Amino acid sequence: MIIDQLENYLTAATYAQSGEHETAMSIMNRKNHANRDTKGGIGMKQESVKHKTNRYIVPAVGFGIFSLSLYAALLINEGRVMDLFTRGGWFTILPVGCAFLFSFVHGAFASNLLSALGIEAKK
Amino acid sequence: MYRHFRMLIFIAALFLTFSQAAFAAGGDGPPKDMLKGVFTQVDAVSRTAVFAKDGTGETVVLTLPQGMAAEDISVNKKVLVSLDKNAGEGVIKDVSLMFLDMKLKTAVTLLIVGLIGGLLSGFIGSGGAFVLTPAMMSLGVPGAVAVASNMCHKFPKAMVGAYKRYKYGQADIKLGVVMSATAIIGVQIGIRIQKFILNAFGNAGSNLYVSFVFMVVLVLVGGYVLYDAYKLSKGKNEEKASNLALRLQQIKLAPMMHFKVANVTISAWVTIPVGLLTGMLAATIAVGGFIGVPGMIYVVGASAVVASATELIVAFFMGAWGSIQWGLSGLIDIRLTLLILFGSLIGVQLGALGTTYVKDYMIKLVMASTMLIVAVSRGALIPSYLANLDLIQKISPEMEHLLSQVSFWALVTALASAGIIITVAMVSGMRSAGQEASTPVTAQVTAHD
Repeated sequence: MIIDQLENYLTAATYAQSGEHETAMSIMNRKNHANRDTKGGIGMKQESVKHKTNRYIVPAVGFGIFSLSLYAALLINEGRVMDLFTRGGWFTILPVGCAFLFSFVHGAFASNLLSALGIEAKK
Repeated sequence: MYRHFRMLIFIAALFLTFSQAAFAAGGDGPPKDMLKGVFTQVDAVSRTAVFAKDGTGETVVLTLPQGMAAEDISVNKKVLVSLDKNAGEGVIKDVSLMFLDMKLKTAVTLLIVGLIGGLLSGFIGSGGAFVLTPAMMSLGVPGAVAVASNMCHKFPKAMVGAYKRYKYGQADIKLGVVMSATAIIGVQIGIRIQKFILNAFGNAGSNLYVSFVFMVVLVLVGGYVLYDAYKLSKGKNEEKASNLALRLQQIKLAPMMHFKVANVTISAWVTIPVGLLTGMLAATIAVGGFIGVPGMIYVVGASAVVASATELIVAFFMGAWGSIQWGLSGLIDIRLTLLILFGSLIGVQLGALGTTYVKDYMIKLVMASTMLIVAVSRGALIPSYLANLDLIQKISPEMEHLLSQVSFWALVTALASAGIIITVAMVSGMRSAGQEASTPVTAQVTAHD
């Protein structure tokens, strides 16, 4: 019994260390210790990771479409864009502002894409 | 609250004092002997061309030099014209199409170069201009447009990278802002030195100066960083602040500043030369990070992770400043900027998260290897600059071509090797992290018995 409890505590501590606080709490609160083997624990972690990556797919697609639309608009109106953006003076706000806009949209797409692919920073 | 106010006053006073001197000679931007506009007429008989300047619409008559035919002049297309001051008033030296026709091959090249350049930026904090600008020029983009377009891409990329690394707890915003204040001033000083050398010794002298600075900085600093990375990788040294940084931190000269993320308390006066040199180097060889990052590591005492992250903040401010200046002259080709951004915004985030999987010395190793290979690339061009200044015997056209090929391929090698090292280190780190996370707890407990 004591050894079972110790194993639970160690498992919960491992999940807590890797940021899975809810899972850790649920292990600590569990009264039924039947499912205490680490294989089940790993399965729970894999489900949690899959759930996390799934929630990035929609924003990745959304920002991706928005980003591609911006690029398409730029290339379709290439002549007009180049004429306006290279006039100098106050028109400087156009290329600088455009770079900011693209970086927000495309940057958000890139961030969500990497997260959807499960490529994230080490915690 | 009072300490923050004192710091703000210090930064503002510093900026205003030095910028008064730096701006005394007037505005900056592209060289004055370059004209931007459109040729409206060309006369093959009199060997003259009518040129309408951009913005004002004022027309001037320019003379074609020996060796340039009337057919070489593109009419009604925006061009950059450099004038030969030695040949007389209004004599053309060179004509370059300002904005090249965008082809698929050019676009794909820019996407790939942007991706790898971004990866490098996110990992070591360098802006990547030392590969991106030559890459654009090798595609036929005039130098001024290449520099301007790269600047306009650099600051949003640095913003994204800095934000990511700030989220990972690596970027010290206060240190970045303090360094940026003096770096911007350093850029102005560097530009004035460049212009002085250009006026005194011409293009060949300017190229020699740039290459010489490249060689000295990259070889000395890169060599030391490599040596340090080697010692750390062998476990011979603990990762700690350098002796120089520890001694400088003992100097109690007000205002003292505490940089929380860098975990350093140091006199603000120590940050001044580091920031100034970063800006001067950015203006000279377009890579401030090669001084800025080692400066923050070995002079201020920040770790390589914090230094490379904080350098992105400096790159943001310098890039934004430079973009506005070049934009005022209408030299930013937004197509080039955005095509490079397409790849680099992905690369910079990959590079940034890659730093969380590697040890400190890996960042130093990538930086050092990149610096040393780029030194070879620049060094290969020095003989031709020396020959142009009659300091050494003329070299044959075949040898000149060979050396320029060595220079180009060394640059490609620098980019490719950095990309490979970063990718391998990241994948290896991710695999180890994945294995640690999936190792059963009981197995771990047994291993520790």
